[in-house]
Amino acid sequence: MTKRELGPLALAVAVAGIVALLPVESAAQTDRDAAKSGKFGPVGPAAQKGKSKAAPSGPTPRMPDGKPDFQGVWTPGNSFMQMGQPSLQPWAEELYKQRRANLSKDDPEGHCLPSGVPRISPFPQKIIQTPTLMVILDEGNIHSYRQIHLDRDHPKDLDPLWWGDSIGKWDGDTLVVDTVGFNDKTWLNGQGMPHSEELHVIERISRPDLGHLNFDITLNDPKAFTKPHNYKRVHTLMENTDLLEYVCNEFNIDAEHLVGK
Amino acid sequence: MKYGLCAAAAFLLAVSWPARAHHSFAAEYDSTKTVTVKGTIQKLEWVNPHAYFWVDAKDENGKITTWAFESLSPNALARQGWNRNSLKKGEEVTVEGYLAKDGKPLADGSIHANSKSVTRADGRRVFVGSSADDVATK
Repeated sequence: MTKRELGPLALAVAVAGIVALLPVESAAQTDRDAAKSGKFGPVGPAAQKGKSKAAPSGPTPRMPDGKPDFQGVWTPGNSFMQMGQPSLQPWAEELYKQRRANLSKDDPEGHCLPSGVPRISPFPQKIIQTPTLMVILDEGNIHSYRQIHLDRDHPKDLDPLWWGDSIGKWDGDTLVVDTVGFNDKTWLNGQGMPHSEELHVIERISRPDLGHLNFDITLNDPKAFTKPHNYKRVHTLMENTDLLEYVCNEFNIDAEHLVGK
Repeated sequence: MKYGLCAAAAFLLAVSWPARAHHSFAAEYDSTKTVTVKGTIQKLEWVNPHAYFWVDAKDENGKITTWAFESLSPNALARQGWNRNSLKKGEEVTVEGYLAKDGKPLADGSIHANSKSVTRADGRRVFVGSSADDVATK
């Protein structure tokens, strides 16, 4: 490396140090700004193609029984990574710091494990709906699915689950999805936001028009948070497309090269 | 071998922000170690969770070094219009990318890096994009 190249390196290290100290939300803000300015396209995730086009407009489609029809292929765009900053209990704060310091090398997603709930990957999801069951098919992070039961309550004495147990009840045109029964292995975001087995997720899902699916999410976890945390995601409809194959474990050589710092 | 290491002013990459890959970019690749490799395509593996392609780069003495570049996932590449035939064996390319942090070669002995862009001999760019880009824009 020549001396001329060391100048930018020193600057880079200095600036990186400063930037690393900035709170997460400021990064999320610039992320949103970048998204608005179109800096992301055309490069990026599967989600980009859906995001780069304006969401189709039209009235909310309805099922034969009059309930809103959530079916379609949806992309979270950049909202997949935005969850704000819950107020954490000390042990959770410490764990979160450690995971960030390790540059998220132990993120379960990097090891082809499920994202859990309500975290999602940047890849599209497909929703299939019946009067008694809603199914969310995930293209990634692993090809998997989530069942939301509309015709029963939670079973008693659930064993810890990666996806928890989800039930849904209609509140007008909003489906209120209640999920409990989690393990504590998933991260709530890519930076390592922790939770405990007491996590209780409430997602209020609505489709205000043809092109948008809104998630109003409240996380309750008295063991990991000091108070409930609320945030929102907006998914947009991807037309004339379908889920593609994604088999995370096929050639995941990343796992052995995730060294962190 | 025509490649150079330089400290890119991609300092924002140093912030850990797991990108649109399924893993944290910063935990695997070094955003300050950029590489530019000119060579020929040895093969393209259309595999999950990331497509990989191998490039043979010859130095002035004729010695060949093989590089393995991680790309985006096949589903993401497909939505951008690429497919398993988008890079042909023997095709001349120039690849810009980032070195793996651990400095370890892959099992086949090739140098491990992440690709930011691939430029063909005619100047057209294919496989443009790295999971690092999502971080770089923040």
